Amino acid sequence: MPDPVTQIIQLVTSTYFLEIVLFPGLTSIAILGAFFTWFERKLTARVQLRIGPLYSSPVGGILQGFADIIKLLFKELIIPEGADRFFFIMSPVTALIIGAALLGLIPFAPGIQIANVEVGLPAFLAIVTLSPTLVLLAGWSANSKFPFIGGLRALFQQTAYEIPLWLSALGVVMITGTLSLTGIVQYQQNNGWLIIPQALGAVLFIVTSTAEMERLPFDLPEAESEIMMGWQAEYPGPLFMLVQGPAFIKLYAFAALFSTLYLGGYLGPALIPPIVWFFAKTIVIIVAIMLFRSTFPRVRLDQLLRQGWTTLLTLSIVNIVIAYLIVVGVPAI
Amino acid sequence: MTDLTFLALATVTVASAILALEARDLVYGAAALGITFLGMAGLFFFLDASYVATFQIAVYIGAVVVLILFTVMLVGPQMGEPPMELKRLSLLTALLVSLLLGTAGSLTSANAFPGPDSCGTGCDLIGLSKTLITQYGVPLEFLSLVLAAAVIGALTLAKADRKG
Amino acid sequence: MEPLTSFFAVSVILLGIGIYGLTTKRNALRILFSIELIYNAANLNIVAFARLRNPPIVTGQVIVLFTIALAAMEASVGLAIIMLVSRLNVDIDLRKLTRLKG
Repeated sequence: MPDPVTQIIQLVTSTYFLEIVLFPGLTSIAILGAFFTWFERKLTARVQLRIGPLYSSPVGGILQGFADIIKLLFKELIIPEGADRFFFIMSPVTALIIGAALLGLIPFAPGIQIANVEVGLPAFLAIVTLSPTLVLLAGWSANSKFPFIGGLRALFQQTAYEIPLWLSALGVVMITGTLSLTGIVQYQQNNGWLIIPQALGAVLFIVTSTAEMERLPFDLPEAESEIMMGWQAEYPGPLFMLVQGPAFIKLYAFAALFSTLYLGGYLGPALIPPIVWFFAKTIVIIVAIMLFRSTFPRVRLDQLLRQGWTTLLTLSIVNIVIAYLIVVGVPAI
Repeated sequence: MTDLTFLALATVTVASAILALEARDLVYGAAALGITFLGMAGLFFFLDASYVATFQIAVYIGAVVVLILFTVMLVGPQMGEPPMELKRLSLLTALLVSLLLGTAGSLTSANAFPGPDSCGTGCDLIGLSKTLITQYGVPLEFLSLVLAAAVIGALTLAKADRKG
Repeated sequence: MEPLTSFFAVSVILLGIGIYGLTTKRNALRILFSIELIYNAANLNIVAFARLRNPPIVTGQVIVLFTIALAAMEASVGLAIIMLVSRLNVDIDLRKLTRLKG
């Protein structure tokens, strides 16, 4: 067995390591995260007939995300007295790690996938179930009432919407017969995009993932006008950046998963390279989710929980029945 | 000699298990328990049981740890120091039980459990689901009934709390 | 692949830690932690034995799926009971909760 030093040198210089660090790994996630903050503000502004970020660069404020990062780094780091320092700092850091882990499972192009596990889809959804824990810990550790209530609300919301999320993905699994994400893309290569037989499932998936990400219209836990940013209220300068980062990384990850499951991932006519197809589809979904923010009013918590446990659960079971009929063939009734 | 990955996973699991019981604050204990479950999921991945590993992450860390944290935060801090003699006796008991089981385990014949490197049909995902639904179909239905009973039980307990 | 003794050793160590916690701790939540550790030790044991057998069989993984679900169920009902008991302003010291009627 080669000694550990040779093993480490081999690991660091392999393409695998470059994939993890540069693309589609950590560096690209960081840059795209900063880019998406600008993108959302510009898009929301244009929808609302405003101009949006303008001054940070000659090209329509495109460097606004990076300007925000630099500004937040210079702010003072005040941790509330009596707060639990360990969880206060480690919860957003772990959320960042989780976001990066989510993106490691997705096939970006036929050769580019960091972790090609045969249980890719359940692994993605299982890692998503880790985020309610972190939000609860972050809300509790600030030792203040607003963040704790916000953390509890976020916990209830995210836990309630996990089940319709798993069940709407189950429809995809029933039709394709495989749990791995590359397998699902290959099925779509042979049989057409899954959004056609699974239209209801796709709608359910977008709705439940928007609720899971706590974006408007489901962002009561961080409602700016009601409970003062909820569980994020006590986070000072640089830590605030660590808290906002995972939100955008989750957006990117869920949009990428949606385009992999329902829109065929990197598939498309061979004129354009697969990676461009993948990013085009992902950006379309991200734009759609951002447009929800400008269009729908905020849903109240009890309405949200009731809809999650009754309507969405029923619709996901209907979706499973539809998938069953598609697999077995309609005469089986 | 032994694989570095396995050694790292085993150390993390055992260390956080000890931390889960000995940490002074229960929230730290619950978080350490979560790390233990994560180490266990890693060990399951190491044993080519990938679906069981994702199930462990989703159920244990995603649900049980959340419930424990929730209870800890709502119940509040509790104190408790065991008397010293009982602690020594319990340590001895634990060591004795572990030694007994260890001896029993070392008596298993090495020929029956050689540890083949490739798993074949033993870790096949489709084989797993087929076995689960055909051979273990009846226990699966019973499991769903037990789950329903547990949910009803927990809801009744919550309701009794509100009335009483 | 590691030999069976390594996995068995990890499982037995976790079992020992769980038994120690179960018999020593007075706080009901710590006892719940110990019970979960014992469950995990048993699950690891079952999966390891099924995998390292001479043809590896899938039954170990099936059994463990069942036990993980059952353990989660039992933990949730146990936690509901603990929360109820603490709401009645009783200390959750299991040495003192010896009467069946509350």
